[in-house]
Amino acid sequence: MTLAEELEILLPANESRFFGELYLSRKEDGTFSAFHIKDMEMVDSLEATDSLSELREIAKFDAENMYRPLKTAPNLKGGWKTTAASASDFLRRLDCIYPGVFATWIAYHRRSHDPTPLRDTLDRQTGMYRFAGSITDQMANQIMRDTCSPGCLRKIAWPISSESPVSRLKPGMKSIPVICTEACTFAVSEARMLVKEAYEKANPPAKD
Amino acid sequence: MPVSKPDSALLILGHGSTENPDSAKPSWDHADAIAASGQFSSVHCAFWKEEPSFRQVWPMIEEKEIYVVPNFISEGYFTRQVLPRELELEGQTTHRDNRTVHYCDPVGIHATMTDLLIKRAYEIIDEGVKIEETALIIVGHGTNLNKKSTEAITDQVEAIKKKGEPFAEVLDAYMEEAPFIADWKTLTDAPTVVVVPFFIADALHSYQDIPVLLGIEKEITEAASQREVFRQNPYHFGERTLYYSSAIGTDPSLAQVIVDQVAYFDEHYLS
Repeated sequence: MTLAEELEILLPANESRFFGELYLSRKEDGTFSAFHIKDMEMVDSLEATDSLSELREIAKFDAENMYRPLKTAPNLKGGWKTTAASASDFLRRLDCIYPGVFATWIAYHRRSHDPTPLRDTLDRQTGMYRFAGSITDQMANQIMRDTCSPGCLRKIAWPISSESPVSRLKPGMKSIPVICTEACTFAVSEARMLVKEAYEKANPPAKD
Repeated sequence: MPVSKPDSALLILGHGSTENPDSAKPSWDHADAIAASGQFSSVHCAFWKEEPSFRQVWPMIEEKEIYVVPNFISEGYFTRQVLPRELELEGQTTHRDNRTVHYCDPVGIHATMTDLLIKRAYEIIDEGVKIEETALIIVGHGTNLNKKSTEAITDQVEAIKKKGEPFAEVLDAYMEEAPFIADWKTLTDAPTVVVVPFFIADALHSYQDIPVLLGIEKEITEAASQREVFRQNPYHFGERTLYYSSAIGTDPSLAQVIVDQVAYFDEHYLS
């Protein structure tokens, strides 16, 4: 089954779903639409945005025009809506707002895309990130608690190590899950920083 | 030359940035142009520092055959180590999970880049400027950590010289190693100097760092997309005139170079 077919099944006609900060709906004629959940009371006045490049620009900056390098950060701006007649067109638009998030869920749900343990991600780093794999489990939990949890809408599906227990995330009744199957560049950077700070604390520069 | 790959996907790889909003734009622009041409079944982008990441992109691609083109300037740490590792590639062609993935050369080493650099230099200088009194400087990043990082630039400088263009001089210069672009006034005594950044995007280095090194900005500015006025050539330094181009990777012709790297792969690596 294609991703577009999966989307048609997950969002049947006359139904709606939450997807991150988006409200997705489908009319009786099959037309798909998406807008920010905070705009539900003002749908008719929203600006129609159908070009992929314009949708990418919407996802690129927050309401204060600050750059959003993480597309699943909980600060997507509203004031727009997009409508598409086909599931494949609609999916291309969703990918501008949340790149690959739908496909990741489908692959995870099909069990064709296994989450990567945090330590596997960190251990394969090179260059300036090569020491990131030295984090303790306490630091790993700190990253999840202080970086991932407040800064990102994705639900973590990866364990800290391949031996760590992890429960499978389940599909929602009225929502399409937004999940994280591998630690991103922000988590890797945070791991590097924590290791660096711990090293510098344990090895303070010698005083003259 | 166009290609016809109605059953194949094209995946363009870029660096991206967590700090500068303009880093990924050229890759997306080229992807949109190639997608509109209908040469591939689908066209995707993935990034080291943005989304979708190299690790997130595979579930998005449904075709069985995928051409991967790094939108990078040179062969080196990223194209030889980081990209193959993150994408789990095993050489030029990888067969995995019932898919065939072809790993093409980066755009920056394609032969047509030489003509693009020359075209870009001519485009930005004003009519009436004497080419024979004009020095062309191709500027790159450079790093003492990797000798290969300057090769892409020096190769282009040699190729431009061989083409017999009437520039007074053609020179290479770098941000972080000698010859330094900050020394442009002493690298050449030509009255007019054209500087073309051999970078993929008008982002952190080419839009924000190098203008300070050239002396056309006093301090690092906001990103290009967040400024109301784009820079205006030329810049005058006493009797001398400086033209500074946008990054070569922003040229719309790069979309064709990406496609050309796919054609090159088929011709030279596909057995």
